[in-house]
Amino acid sequence: MVIPAVTPDLTARVGSVVLKNPVMSASGTFGYGLEFSPFYDISRLGAVIVKGLSLLPTPGNAPQRIVETPAGMLNAIGLQNIGVERFVSDVVPRLADAGATYVANIYGRTIEEYEEVARRLDGVASLAAIELNASCPNVKEGGIAFGSTPGGLSTLTRRVRAATGKPLWVKLSPNVTDIGAMARTAEEAGADAVTLINTLVGMAVDCRTRRPLLSNVTGGLSGPAVKPVALRMVWEACKAVKIPVVGIGGIQSAEDALEFLLVGAAAVQVGTANFRNPNACVEILDGIAGFLVRERVARLEEYRGTLRL
Amino acid sequence: MPFRRPRFVHGRILHNSGHGIFYRMEVSIPDRIEFVPGQFAMVSGWPGNDPLLPRPLAIFRAGGARGKGNVEFVYKVVGRGTALLSGLHEGDPLRITLPLGHGFDLGAEDRVWWLVGGGVGFSTVFPAAVALEAQRADLEVFLGARTRDQLPPKEWIPGSGVPGRAHLCTDDGTAGFYGRVTDAVRERMDGRKASERARLTILACGPREMLKGIAELALPLGIPVQASLENHMACGFGVCWGCVTAVRDGEKTGYRRVCKEGPVFDAREIVW
Repeated sequence: MVIPAVTPDLTARVGSVVLKNPVMSASGTFGYGLEFSPFYDISRLGAVIVKGLSLLPTPGNAPQRIVETPAGMLNAIGLQNIGVERFVSDVVPRLADAGATYVANIYGRTIEEYEEVARRLDGVASLAAIELNASCPNVKEGGIAFGSTPGGLSTLTRRVRAATGKPLWVKLSPNVTDIGAMARTAEEAGADAVTLINTLVGMAVDCRTRRPLLSNVTGGLSGPAVKPVALRMVWEACKAVKIPVVGIGGIQSAEDALEFLLVGAAAVQVGTANFRNPNACVEILDGIAGFLVRERVARLEEYRGTLRL
Repeated sequence: MPFRRPRFVHGRILHNSGHGIFYRMEVSIPDRIEFVPGQFAMVSGWPGNDPLLPRPLAIFRAGGARGKGNVEFVYKVVGRGTALLSGLHEGDPLRITLPLGHGFDLGAEDRVWWLVGGGVGFSTVFPAAVALEAQRADLEVFLGARTRDQLPPKEWIPGSGVPGRAHLCTDDGTAGFYGRVTDAVRERMDGRKASERARLTILACGPREMLKGIAELALPLGIPVQASLENHMACGFGVCWGCVTAVRDGEKTGYRRVCKEGPVFDAREIVW
């Protein structure tokens, strides 16, 4: 007789990074992590992915920055952030104190800036990995310029790869024709993992005032509306590469997260759901554990990538 | 112990009823909260993913006993989210994150407080009036609306029976002062001596144009204005950076979050 696991083993491996569970917060939806400390112990998460960091503090776009759309939202924040120096001096010690596993999402206006930010983070002992934002759609030089062609992505990944010894995850844009080819490009250029999807470029206008609803005119679509697209792209990326794929896009529940793991994702990131419910990540985590217990799966690894076709 | 740090709680509606164009909704929550007037909550209660985001509502009142709290909101239907909220009934579940944001600073002593509410903005300044009354502070309330039916019911105005407490204004003259609330404040200010003006502090919530008008009127006279701003919000607790407003940052313009550094700002900071 098989004794069902009471506490399933949720360990997730993203390359050399071993996570206590597969649930991470997505960059740009979780601040610098500490904002969630009033709600729960952030060390419970597989990892916290902090808001995109640039070399210098960045003011971001003028308001209006967000607009709600059917089962989703558009944002054009413009990567407002405190800059890598203040992150290292002010935030890193507090994240380390909180016992959080954390990953820094980085971006630059030029490849040199990306390299500089990566180098600055290289010596931060408690940092688990660097996530390269090659896909922000809201800033001209915020990654999409590098991330939308295989040539640009390859050069960027190679250069940043050479600038840091940290595990390097490359966050891919869904605004491309062949996501598998882009994932392969990142893999060949030395990425330790790919994370996807970033937001889909969208637009909202007011038919009466005849004006766009975002000051940036276009923005990035996120939320449940993008989940089917994200799931398909994660599935395709999983088939295209040998490195781990981290699934992101519209995850609102444990079931949503399990779907990404089922198609082969090594782990997931929860984004927009954090806005609706600050406890979303831990509720999803508890839900995954409960599901595995009910399904009598002792280890997450046994469930992952078992899609029946 | 009542809680002051933000929490995500599941509540249940005790009542949710219409009063003219406004709704007043009381919700039971698992614990008592302590809030600063001007703080708000993110509220949702409809099933499914559409609309996606909770709605920011000012905390109108909070109470309860040990281990059992209640909180009250006053809101106006402005879009799909508030329309869905208005359709909820006693016993329906709500998801609430509260208390959020930076509220009014009511600490100064020996001030004369003028509280200005435009439209549904009264729901943000009335809790401040209640707190100031408890401090036995000297206060007056100015309320502006398009027309008579869009003013709050008289019995909601804290100390409405006190002579000279409330100044009502309507754009169409159907009740009280005929004109904008900003003009009513200006007239009342004109009738005051400089020594009296020097003791004034204004707390205001309403449409941005109204807040701008109050700031332009009061700031040159050295009268402090605490302005409560509104904006579309995704999270309400400082992580999405979607709700920012432009502020003076030295010589440059910076952006601060309405949900975190606000919703109450020193009006001098704001780039109107």
